[in-house]
This record gives sequence, structure tokens and C-alpha cells, in this order.
Amino acid sequence: MEAIEVSHLVKQFGTLTAINDISFSVAAGETFGFLGPNGAGKTTTIRMLTGISPPTSGTATIFGHDIVRETVAARQSMGIVSETSNVYTDLTGWQNMMLAAQLYRIGRSERDRNATELLKRFELYERRDTKAHGYSKGMRRRLTIAMGLVNSPRLLFLDEPTSGLDVESNLIIREMISDLIKEGVTVFLTTHNIEEANILCERVAIIDKGHIAAIDAPERLKKTIQSVQSVEVAFLDGTSPERLDELRLLPMVNGARKEGDKFKLFTENPTEVIEGVMAYAQTHHTRVISITTLGPSLEDVFVKLTGLQRGGGISAID
Amino acid sequence: MPSISLSGIEDRLSRELVAAWAIAKKDVLIYYLRPGVIVGGVLFPLFMFLAFTAGKLATPVALVPGLIGITTLFSASSIEPVSVPIERRMATFDRLLAAPVSLNALVLGESLSGLLYSLLIAVVVFVAALIILMTPITNIFLIVLGILFSSLCFATLGTLFAAYPTENPGDIISMVNVVRFPLIFISGVFIPIATLPAVAQMIAYVSPLTYANDLIQGGYNGKMTFHPIVDVAMLIVFIVIFQLIANYLYKRFSD
Repeated sequence: MEAIEVSHLVKQFGTLTAINDISFSVAAGETFGFLGPNGAGKTTTIRMLTGISPPTSGTATIFGHDIVRETVAARQSMGIVSETSNVYTDLTGWQNMMLAAQLYRIGRSERDRNATELLKRFELYERRDTKAHGYSKGMRRRLTIAMGLVNSPRLLFLDEPTSGLDVESNLIIREMISDLIKEGVTVFLTTHNIEEANILCERVAIIDKGHIAAIDAPERLKKTIQSVQSVEVAFLDGTSPERLDELRLLPMVNGARKEGDKFKLFTENPTEVIEGVMAYAQTHHTRVISITTLGPSLEDVFVKLTGLQRGGGISAID
Repeated sequence: MPSISLSGIEDRLSRELVAAWAIAKKDVLIYYLRPGVIVGGVLFPLFMFLAFTAGKLATPVALVPGLIGITTLFSASSIEPVSVPIERRMATFDRLLAAPVSLNALVLGESLSGLLYSLLIAVVVFVAALIILMTPITNIFLIVLGILFSSLCFATLGTLFAAYPTENPGDIISMVNVVRFPLIFISGVFIPIATLPAVAQMIAYVSPLTYANDLIQGGYNGKMTFHPIVDVAMLIVFIVIFQLIANYLYKRFSD
């Protein structure tokens, strides 16, 4: 049985069609990434799949339970971690866990055991009796995820789990997601961090303006745009804006952007671009200190499919 | 036609009650001491009582039943108009909307916290009146019924208004007050219904405070306009109507 089965789902708000006839399925135990720019329909889709917002038409089932007609049964097997760290800041970490467990009607001994285990796993146990308003942003995020796992869900909705977090929280959360995947939990992950999706997800769907633009394994998606290869180059004397403009004019360069202390030049012919860069260095009396060729990234796929452009060339997403 | 087993119903009911109680307990821990709740739920009825007493419209003893009536009205309906918009702002309300419980349990849980708050305040007023004013009591059972049913009724009313999709408690409190204030004057709390203009008397019959006040007045001085069963039945009807409307509104506005 599929963990999620979505068929011709449509969501309209007045005259605006936020989600336009999307269909996909997620297998039990699969890690599925749901990517898209802001306003593409990611959160609206999650709100429909979790039964908060009814679809205008179409159906969605969670482990065979229709989310509209069997909402309670469908929700019982899922954990939800929303984009906002929605913990009760006036309650302690422990009280938050207890509330989340009681909403799932978990018995006292089991909820004590689960809460203790999860708070330890997320390194919050020592602070369990502190009110959450005394927690850092990362700690609140970890508590939010711990609350989403308190019912030992078979399916976990993770909405931007690591957005804007410190390195420690990021690592703890990524490690937890990897553990859940090993334990066979189905993970539905929405993220702006495309590299995160690339590492964690077996398949990703790219949604844009309410439509699914592509759905496949990250590596297969990358193969569809082999033409978007790139050359990453660093010069001894830095990365001036004038140099970026000059590099864009080199033969076979389709686009360029500055990335830290390097330039990334997009091309279908890396060999010719490398030759061009070396010649450019010689005529401009500078030295190339590193040069690397790169295949297309999942981000490149995303940019190509969603048509995101910034600064006149192929560009990163926010 | 699918068969519905008794154990299935029991299981569902138990699940709903556990969740409703968890929601109520959360409100007790977080919101009972919020300034907006104390001003609206405790101080306002007290000032109203003092104003009527100072105006010598009646003796303090005669005003006690009315004080208990408006205390239940204001305290029971003061929690959710504060808690729900704050929870929308903090996105914690989504947590409740996404929980594996029905909207009935969510609305009931929210109303339960208003009910408990109102009972607490009403008991304090009742005991204080008994000790300080030595208020005579004719039938304590009627007073208990009046406090209990009116508290649940007005708590559900507060939950209903809190369905309005705003993140600002002031928006909802303003709307609730548009209903609460007129109710005081048309429900026989301080001014007998019989002395009101004919139109106001008609409106009094569709005010839940009329029936709550009738029970409480009956408990204190034995004078009642309706039979106690009518009062209780009417309050139950109002509770059911408010609950159904609240369910509908939360569903509609959760989109």
C-alpha cells in the first residue's frame, strides 16, 4: 500500500488556482522531496494532505485512508512538523511533549517513554523543565520535530526542517532524518535547501505555480539537463563585477555567476571554456588558482524547470 | 450499510475526550493569568457590580444573583477570544487543527477551559457573597445548575466568536462585547424583564443569559419566570447551536 496517493488534486481560493490537478504517489518507506519556489503550492499541498484544508477536487489517501472522509484515521499514522516552530513557549519542553502525545491519545507510560527518548535524542532532556520561551531557535526547532515524532508515525511531513538553523541543530536534525529513513519511516520533505533534498531524497517532485514540473530520482533529473554543465574558476586577484561581465562574453559561456571567491560559468562545452579562461587569464595578466568542471546540480534542474532567473543569467534560488 | 460497533464508539469518544481535556489543560496552564483574561473575565463584572451598588439601584444582597450571572457570562467567554488568535499568530493552532481529533473535540476542548475558568470565578463570588454579605439561599441546586450550564454555554459562545480568522485578540473581544453588553440589560440581570419595553422582552427570550439568570435568581430568592427544566433545556439548545456554528466556522476558516 502506498503511503501517499494523490489523484488530480485541485485547490482554488476564489478565482486563484493554487494547486492545479496534481497527481503523485509516495511508497511506504520512501523519502520524497517536494521542492518549489515560494508560492508554488508546497504548503497548500501539505495542508491538504494533512486534512487541514479540504481540496476543491481530487483525492488524497494516507495509507489507504481518504484524508477528507477518514481524516482522523489518516492523521493517526502521520507526524507533522510545520515550517514554523509551533511549540507552546509558555509550556516546558516536557509539557509540550505531553500535550502532543495526548492529542494522539498515547497512554501515560508510552508517552513518558517516547518523550524521554526523543528529548534525549534531540539533546533537550536536560532542559525539559524549562519553558520553551527560554530555548534558542534551534532548540525550539528540535522540540517541534520531537513533538512530531511522539506518536511514532509511519509517515512524517517535514516542512523546511533545517531552514535558518545553527550548524549543531542542522546536524542533529539531518542525522535524525537519516535514522528515520533507516527505520523505514516515510518522509515527505519540503525544503528550499536543494542539496539537502539531493542527499536525503530517493525521489523529488518540483512544483511550480501549482503544477508538478518534474518528478523523478535526483540523479535521473540531473541527466535530463546534461547541457547545463559548469566550470568553476578562481583567480589570484579576486572577483570583480567587471570580470564577471567579461567572463560572460567568453565563447561557449551561456551564463555566469559569482559564488564566493569563485566564478561559475555555465556551458555545454567545458573543455572550450577552460581554454578560453586560461587565455583570458594570460591576456589580463592574472593567474588561475583553481579550475573545476561540474555536472548539473539538482539546483540547476530546479532553476531550469521553474524558470527562476536573477541578474540576467542562470542563478541560484533564495 | 457499515456496522458501527459499541467498542468503536467508546474508543472514538474516549479519544475525543482525552484530546479535549489536553486542549483545556493547555489553556489553563497558559492563559488563565493573562491580563486580557483577568480584565475581561474578573475585573469587568466586579466593576459592574460596584457601579450598580454605588448607584443604589438595589442592595448588594439583591445584586448577587445578577453578579454571578454576568460573572459566568464574562469569565466563560473571555479565554478563547484571547487564546485562539494568539495561537493562530504562533501557528500552534495549526497543531490542534492537524491533530487526529474531530472539530467537535477541538471546540469542546477550547470551551472546557472557559467553563473551568468560569466555575472557578463563580465559586469565589458565591463563597465571598455567602461570607461577606450572608446572602440567603433558597435552593442551592438551582444555583449550581445555573452556573454549570451557563458557564458551558458562554464558553462555547466565546469559542464560536474566536473562530473569526484574526491573529489579534482585540478584534474578537470587540465583537464578543457587542453581544455581551446588550445581554446584561435585556436578560433580567439587573433590570426585571417585565419592566422592559415589549421589543426588548421578545429579545430576552433569545438570550441564554435570561435562562441562566432565571435559574440563579430562583436559587437565591425563589422567584422564577420559567420552570427550571425550561431554563436548562434552553441553555442546552443554545450550547448545541453554538457548538454546531463553531464547528462550521472553524472548518470554513481553517482554509
